Amino acid sequence: MGLGAERCRGRAISPSSLAADSDWGVGGFPSRPGLGSEKAGVGMATYLVRRVLQLIPTLFVISLLLFGLLAMKPGDPIDEMRRGNPGFTQADYDRLREFYGLDRPWYVQYWRWLGRVVHGDFGTSRQFGRPAADYVFKYRFPNTVLLSGLSLLLSFSVAVPAGVLSALRQRGFVDYTITVVSFVGVSIPIFWMGIMLIYIFAVQFRGFLPAGGLATPGVTGTWPILGDRLRHLLLPVLALSSLQVAQWTRFMRSSMLETIQLDFVVTARSKGLSERRVIFKHALRNAILPLITLMGLNVPALFSGAILTETVFNWPGMGRAIYDAILVNDFNVAMVSLMFISLLVLLFNLLTDIAYALVDPRIRYG
Amino acid sequence: MRYRMSVVVLGIVLAAGLAVLGSSGSNSLVIGASQEPSNLCPWEGAADTKENLMGIFNIGLTYIDSSGVLQPGLATEIPTESNGRLVVISDATGQVIRQQVVWTIREDAYWSDGVPITSDDAIFTFQVQNTQEMMVTTRAFSNLVEEIVKVDDKTFRITYGTPNLFYSSVGGSIGLARFYDIAPKHIWGPIYDQVMAQIAAKPENASTIIEGQFLGAPSSTGTGAVVGSGAFEFVEWQINQFIRFARRADFFLVPPGPASNYLQEITVRYIVAQPTLLSGIMAGEIEACDDISLAGMDPAILRAQLGSQAVVEVTASGFIEKLNFNLFPSCQVAADLLLGDKRTRQAIIQAIDREDLARTVYPGATVSNSFLVDGDIGFDAALNPWPYNLTAARTLLADLGWADSDGDGTLERTVDGRVIEFRLHWVATTADFRIRTGEILQEMLADVGIKLEVENLPGSVVFSSEYLNHGSECTWRGIVEYAEAGGVGQAPADPLSNELWANDLLEVPVDAELENTPLPENSFGGTNIMGWVSVEFDQLRADALREFDPDKRSAIVKLMQQLYNEELPTVPLYDRSEIVVKMAGLVNYTKGTAAARTQFWNAWEWGWAQNGAAAVR
Repeated sequence: MGLGAERCRGRAISPSSLAADSDWGVGGFPSRPGLGSEKAGVGMATYLVRRVLQLIPTLFVISLLLFGLLAMKPGDPIDEMRRGNPGFTQADYDRLREFYGLDRPWYVQYWRWLGRVVHGDFGTSRQFGRPAADYVFKYRFPNTVLLSGLSLLLSFSVAVPAGVLSALRQRGFVDYTITVVSFVGVSIPIFWMGIMLIYIFAVQFRGFLPAGGLATPGVTGTWPILGDRLRHLLLPVLALSSLQVAQWTRFMRSSMLETIQLDFVVTARSKGLSERRVIFKHALRNAILPLITLMGLNVPALFSGAILTETVFNWPGMGRAIYDAILVNDFNVAMVSLMFISLLVLLFNLLTDIAYALVDPRIRYG
Repeated sequence: MRYRMSVVVLGIVLAAGLAVLGSSGSNSLVIGASQEPSNLCPWEGAADTKENLMGIFNIGLTYIDSSGVLQPGLATEIPTESNGRLVVISDATGQVIRQQVVWTIREDAYWSDGVPITSDDAIFTFQVQNTQEMMVTTRAFSNLVEEIVKVDDKTFRITYGTPNLFYSSVGGSIGLARFYDIAPKHIWGPIYDQVMAQIAAKPENASTIIEGQFLGAPSSTGTGAVVGSGAFEFVEWQINQFIRFARRADFFLVPPGPASNYLQEITVRYIVAQPTLLSGIMAGEIEACDDISLAGMDPAILRAQLGSQAVVEVTASGFIEKLNFNLFPSCQVAADLLLGDKRTRQAIIQAIDREDLARTVYPGATVSNSFLVDGDIGFDAALNPWPYNLTAARTLLADLGWADSDGDGTLERTVDGRVIEFRLHWVATTADFRIRTGEILQEMLADVGIKLEVENLPGSVVFSSEYLNHGSECTWRGIVEYAEAGGVGQAPADPLSNELWANDLLEVPVDAELENTPLPENSFGGTNIMGWVSVEFDQLRADALREFDPDKRSAIVKLMQQLYNEELPTVPLYDRSEIVVKMAGLVNYTKGTAAARTQFWNAWEWGWAQNGAAAVR
């Protein structure tokens, strides 16, 4: 068995591979002869180096655009101070603008900002008086990863079996039920779902689950802290997953329906394999690929947070951090967050391209 | 088997979490607030949300109680001329030019770490406040200070080079915000010295050093020693979640009966969304809220939703919602609409049913006719109430030459051959109640032939100086609506008025520049964003700011209001209300009057009636 076929081992045994153990992989893609060869390896390494180097000017242009756009937005942090303080004089205003360097043209401010950033200093959050990077990566990002990661896990765990079941019971009671539930899930806005969940589990069943927040103040001890955190996570994860589950279930159902009608499934059945083996070993592995691609593309968005869910459940994540920072002109937090999201998008694009090269033999880099 | 184990573990964890519910002490309070302070640095930031919080663990030289009466806090007594602590120095013409104020700090006043509060702390506080490199929010009052001198360990004397009427009011002595006139030198002194040394070495990095080392100091971010002068001491700050405080045993103000009957712990939880905060209250997780978080909600609906489990308290906020007119002759659109003619403004105020508007968009609010709120020194309750009167409004507009000549329902007039339609630009933020206000004003003004062009923009845009301060360049062409502190006889809120004056006639020799009117000549600086210029008003203001006799000052302020009420440079809509929700049984958690500004002034008296706390407010 060649390397191309070896790479297909974890994915699916296609009719063609069953038939001939040929160079053809899943869905009729030809495997890439010599992918593991030295030449191909050098080509990939060159490609990777080039792509990574391309990240630098790309990030520079993105930072320039972001900074310029934020600078174009009317208002600055000093305006925020003035709003909250009736005793604020014009002299105070002028003094603080000069002090912050906000009286200078935006490109001068940009160069100052860039000069600090290359030394690892992203400035201080004017909203929270802490280093902006520290604030984003210590207080916000982990919360987003926790919420979005669990939501992704739950959505995947529910959507895949539900989609498969719906496809296998097409036009039956189970299919109709799952379809109706999915449409309901797609139709209900997340914020409404969140408020309803809070109303039922926090208000009606008073105290059964918390109405929001990350943790209960004053809780100590490993188990109580863990339990408390889980209780706080349940409702936001449910709310955030509701839309994804609905969408992915429909997606999975459609993909599965398409797959089970393909020739290789018929062949597998005709070879006498059990239905369970045909579905889970052969059909599912092919049907799930588009869903995985979709999930992969959604990962950067996942890190940028879920602003509605975070707002309704008072969950301090990235979505709200970015929104609030832009709204109250906390430029340093806005810049570090947006640049981080941009970097993630670029990195995941790169990873996707690499993944394509690894799984799709027709694609060559270098 | 593995599945069962997972279920068991999950069950244990959840049960442990549920057990947390009942573990909090019964003599504690969880307050819900929508806005979190940026830091705990006493010199920076004066937003209500921060001042509320600082009030839990700090107290100023003075405070205002729920009856609106000024009381000594850290000070032994309030300086007055009769007790010899206030000396006013006048020139040959009798005009007050300087004043001296002597303060004495109580012997039993200690910082929360046990260190005595002394005049060295006060002098240090002023030193930081007056350090030019320091990023203090405002120097509006500290700039009036000529010198501050230590008399003894507990006594210090402030000399003002310009009259400071608000020398004794909350936050008016040195110029820091409410509740923290004095900061702990033993905590902030070393930080200040280190920062100044770094700035001396690298002056070009001053802002970065101050942001990082001073505002970002552990005592500011809550990651180090946070020391206060108030009834509670700081315990912890979990950013974006909550701040906790514990009762001090050595605080000098004590409630009636044993202190153990009152709150021992306070947690302020930050919840941004109003529905979530309300759910938290209904779920019993939040036991009270601050005076900001439920703004704009209907108290009647809240009472219906919460029933007997909670008390809904409505008080005046001290903020007046108003329509500011563009009066700059250089803005052609505004000039064409004759907004500079007081009859136009008088027509508009009479075309608005302000009672109905206030009832609809801001339940609990009361119609306003002044730039001051009830309770302020000199507040005039007998001003022209400008009742809803469409006939009078139409007559005034007709007198100005407006007529619906083409019958389309909108007034027109002809100027130099140009036909001008009365299309009035109205701008406000995207707050729900303001969106509703725009819709209602559109309907009301249509009745007199004015077509209101409504624009709701984010607050950061409306309040940006590039927008608000450029009315002379027509960035906004007609009306901008927002709320302004209406003055409650205390600094720094009392504007007398912060926005209405153009010339500051306090200076000697008198400066007759339009320094408070944003114009290209002064780089669009100033707070008089309407461009209203009244020599008479400015003279009255200057007189009032020099008048220490409360009766005489009151008479001057009344004249100012009468002038305002006739000229209407802004149309006052209503005094905004504030809503505080608290669980039944929570006592003394009250603001009482607008003068108190907040209910966070007497944390030492807060408690649960069911735990034996006595209601004294």
